[in-house]
Amino acid sequence: MAENYILECSGISKAFGGTQALKDVQLHIRPGEVHALLGENGAGKSTLMKIIIGLYKQDEGTITWNGKPYQARGPVDAINQGISMIHQELNPEPHLTIAETIFLKRESTVGTFFLNKKEQNRRAEEVLKKFDFPFGPKTMMKDLTLAQVQMIEIIKAVSCDAKLIIMDEPTSSLDSEETEHLFRTIRDLRSKGVAIIYISHRMEEIFEICDRVSVFRDGTYVSSRDMDGVTRDELISMMVGREVKNIFPKVDCPIGKPVFRVEGLTGKGFRDISFEVHAGEILGLSGLVGSGRSETVRAIFGLDPLESGKIYLDGQEIKIKNPRDAIKRGICMVNEDRKGYGLCLQRSIRENISLPNLPEKQAGLLLNQRREKKECQEAAQMLTVKCASIEHTGLSLSGGNQQKVVLAKWIMATPKVLILDEPTRGVDVGAKSDIHTLMCQFAAKGMAVIMISSELPEIMGMSDRILIYHEGRLNGSVDRSEIRGGSVTQKEILEKEFGGK
Amino acid sequence: MAKNDKKVLGMDQDSFRMFMGKYGIGIVLIGMVIIISIMRPRFIQPTNLLNIFTQISINGLIAYGMCLAITTGGIDLSVGSQLALVSCILGQLVGVKNMNMVLSIIIALAVATAFGFLNGVLIAKFDMFPFVVTLSTQLIIRSIAQIISNGQAVSMTSSVFKSIYSGNFLGIPRPIVYLAIVVIIMYIVMHWTRFGRYVYAVGGNVNAAIASGVSVFWTKTLCYTISGLLAGLAGLIFTSKTGAAQANIGVGYETDAVAACVLGGTSFAGGISTAPGVLLGSIIIGCIYNGMNFLRIDSYYQSMTKGIIIICAVLLDMVMNKKNR
Amino acid sequence: MKLRKLISLSVAALMVAGMAIPAAADEAAAGGDVNGDGKIVVGYISKNTTDPFHGPINSTATEILDGLVADGTIDEWTGILDGLTDAGKQVDLAADCIAQGVDYAIILPAEAVASDPAVVNMTEAGIKVVVVNSKTDSTDDLALTYCGSDDVYAGELMATYIQEQLPDGGAYIHCQGVIGNSAQIQRGEGILNILGEDDKFEALGDYPCDWAADKAVNAATDAMSMYGDDLKAIICDNDDMSSAAQQACNEAGRSDIVCIGVDGNQGPLTMVKEGTLGATVLQDGVGQVTAGIDAIVADINGETVEKEYTIPFVLVTSENVDQYLNADSAAEAETEAVTE
Repeated sequence: MAENYILECSGISKAFGGTQALKDVQLHIRPGEVHALLGENGAGKSTLMKIIIGLYKQDEGTITWNGKPYQARGPVDAINQGISMIHQELNPEPHLTIAETIFLKRESTVGTFFLNKKEQNRRAEEVLKKFDFPFGPKTMMKDLTLAQVQMIEIIKAVSCDAKLIIMDEPTSSLDSEETEHLFRTIRDLRSKGVAIIYISHRMEEIFEICDRVSVFRDGTYVSSRDMDGVTRDELISMMVGREVKNIFPKVDCPIGKPVFRVEGLTGKGFRDISFEVHAGEILGLSGLVGSGRSETVRAIFGLDPLESGKIYLDGQEIKIKNPRDAIKRGICMVNEDRKGYGLCLQRSIRENISLPNLPEKQAGLLLNQRREKKECQEAAQMLTVKCASIEHTGLSLSGGNQQKVVLAKWIMATPKVLILDEPTRGVDVGAKSDIHTLMCQFAAKGMAVIMISSELPEIMGMSDRILIYHEGRLNGSVDRSEIRGGSVTQKEILEKEFGGK
Repeated sequence: MAKNDKKVLGMDQDSFRMFMGKYGIGIVLIGMVIIISIMRPRFIQPTNLLNIFTQISINGLIAYGMCLAITTGGIDLSVGSQLALVSCILGQLVGVKNMNMVLSIIIALAVATAFGFLNGVLIAKFDMFPFVVTLSTQLIIRSIAQIISNGQAVSMTSSVFKSIYSGNFLGIPRPIVYLAIVVIIMYIVMHWTRFGRYVYAVGGNVNAAIASGVSVFWTKTLCYTISGLLAGLAGLIFTSKTGAAQANIGVGYETDAVAACVLGGTSFAGGISTAPGVLLGSIIIGCIYNGMNFLRIDSYYQSMTKGIIIICAVLLDMVMNKKNR
Repeated sequence: MKLRKLISLSVAALMVAGMAIPAAADEAAAGGDVNGDGKIVVGYISKNTTDPFHGPINSTATEILDGLVADGTIDEWTGILDGLTDAGKQVDLAADCIAQGVDYAIILPAEAVASDPAVVNMTEAGIKVVVVNSKTDSTDDLALTYCGSDDVYAGELMATYIQEQLPDGGAYIHCQGVIGNSAQIQRGEGILNILGEDDKFEALGDYPCDWAADKAVNAATDAMSMYGDDLKAIICDNDDMSSAAQQACNEAGRSDIVCIGVDGNQGPLTMVKEGTLGATVLQDGVGQVTAGIDAIVADINGETVEKEYTIPFVLVTSENVDQYLNADSAAEAETEAVTE
């Protein structure tokens, strides 16, 4: 194609350790177009964007920008070359003024050292006017709403003379009016020849604002299409693309009485969630990142507060104020953030495994260290943790083995309800299937297992039942028999995740 | 260094780190002792060794409390004034009012413990910065000591009281006995009890500790409470040592305690420390003071030497724990 | 591994670098080997090595003791052991002296009561102790001799000077040293002995200034704004504070306020010379330590040593400042005059 592209990425590959995040992907952007980037969680969209703005360096492949080879040394360098990114998580400096934010790192100065605030405010005023921004340059960032902060980011990008602006989920925290305002701005930018890469999970928006779309799947490039003449169904098929192969060793086991039930749980990021889990059942919670899955289980485990709702264990209502209450009742959780909530990496494997289980290892005032050592050794072996000795620190382990240690912690506690949030994220294939096998064993022992995963094949392969989240609410459920029988496909689940009925 | 070797080499490095983490500081100490002994043979004589151990008892006690605070990721700057407070309370009760000595000591220690508890509650309950909290209580406690004593030194004439420091137990100076008891208890507390594990977990990764059902509030509070009690004990020994109760003692004592902890491998990042390490650190500090005097090092150079040794020890600690980042 | 080596090397290097090379003298004088180990060793426990009053004392002592080692009167001395103004530390240093086999020890106590165990422990170990500058509780009973000055008298000197300068009386404030320190207590006592009896003078308050000049300045400015013209005098426990306070008064246009303190440090003496400070009370620290070392030499030579040598405080005014300014400069500059 001899078309005129402003940005051309071709043959880009990137691996993190053993995981291939991007494999030979391409992305071609025309000047002045709004280009949607679509894909499931983990399809590689963010990785590619981070390569473009210079946060990562690709292992292979080339990028051409304005017809010249391009490689950013970092976000600042990217901005200087005309590429700005507006991140999903905005981190404004609350104590800076609007002018200071817009001209951060490129302040107007007198000589080399002294700020020329007057000049800076004047220039800020100019650009703000261009966008009809309702506040003056001296307003503090902390006085702005999220939508306004985002607008400032866009203004900043434009004032840097950006020719390409990457927007990652720009509407995720905007209401409909603010979204409408954003779209007007985008159309305005487009008319001025600025290209925009628009990343979003919201189909309607993509159809409304975008000119073209590229779809990624599992770190590979699927295809690019003009928005005219493409249907929602086609796009979802492109995102899913593959068949569900039964690589998951799910062993069916008898499902017992209901053990755990929640009613009308409401908290930050989720509303009115009710479900029930039986002994021996694996319940999968599916949904897009940020749809409220993790938020729900964090609140159940007592890490975040609940606004309302009831929790029942063995038919009796229980109150959980903090994780200690949850653990005492036999509710355990493997957190998605392994480094943050899982392990004390600088302590030994043994100490990590026994941390929640110390009361049982008490002999009088002291710990029965011999017993502790023996039981931790057994737990580590059962979970096939690969380590030279359980006295080594968590740092000496690979990600998968760290995750097994986290599992070992909770298995030793023999919970009634085991919550697994992204149990196989960042884990290599071998460890992954080990963890799946273990999950089946836990269920077989009569535990009620709740699993969250962003990988649809995993959740479909492992769950007895799947609940689908959409924007903080449950949007349907699927039984294993339906998946087995082929009456429900990945595509349908994905559609529900995107808000379809 | 091919990529396949990484694991084997990684293990080796890990074992080496563990070895150096455990014994590295001991090697430094042995080196120091050998150097000083060659230059000054009197240094290694039993009387001087007993002398060193007697001298480190006060700093050693404070250092164990400090170690707990640092291990949870905090610091306790109030220990120096705790010394003065206990001293002044003892001065008023024993020296002025002639109260029963055992009862007075219990009261004084209880007050120090209570202030430690207060530190802990402020830090753990209200999530205030340990540095700020203990800096403030340091001032408050010192002021209370001055109020109690009215700025006057009280002479502690009782020979029984003085023997708390100067007495012997089976030929061993009593301060060494106290230190030994505290070291043993602290070893057990830090390494053989549930509480000890919780301290390391809270310091190592507070979120993981919470998610494992550890009560961060009680763990931190207890650490600072113990620190208060140990500082109180140190104040008792100090008062007996000098035979005087006054409000201006213990200024800057937290510095040596922190130094002992750091030398002993306590990481300011939290979650790493050992009971034997703190003892070794205290001994090294004692040897630095005593040894430099033996070597006739000009006093102007002494602080510098101490500072350089501490920086080197921290560097050692960082190299050992490089993989943390 | 490399790092470990580096550390031990640097430790060793530092220790060697800082070491004063002891000049070995062959023949030991007969009388002074108190502990019978064939060597005469003198220990020197300072109060601290940082404040301007103790600086000249320590350097004079170093000068004289080095001289005594060189001429063979004594075999070794410990160098200046830094007491860090901490009685507990001084007790430790006393133990170090005992362990080092010291025969004579000079100590400048940090505290009257709390430093006493240092004196007691050393005498019990058979060391002859010379107490310099201020007494500890058992100095009279145990020490070989005491060389110092009477702090109560210093306070009285200051008070008398104030009486002379302000015949009509008036109100004054008192800037204190570190509370509980014996010099602070006794100087305050001396002031009260005189001014407390004098109805014409009114004490406006004691300001704890920890011997520190900056705190005295704060106290002076506070008092000036609070009491205005009623404030006639500022009496300080040392002259670092009084000179700084006087300077603050002068700058505020209140050079009529009379400030006085004790010590006779170089700064205040210079101010007396310039006429910006009326007077200061000189404590002859150098004279005290010199007398102390003289006593040791006398004891080594088998001569009798008095139980106490009192080195008088002197009121220094513009009339007699020259003689002290020079004498002190001489000590500062470490000329040979003192060792002779």
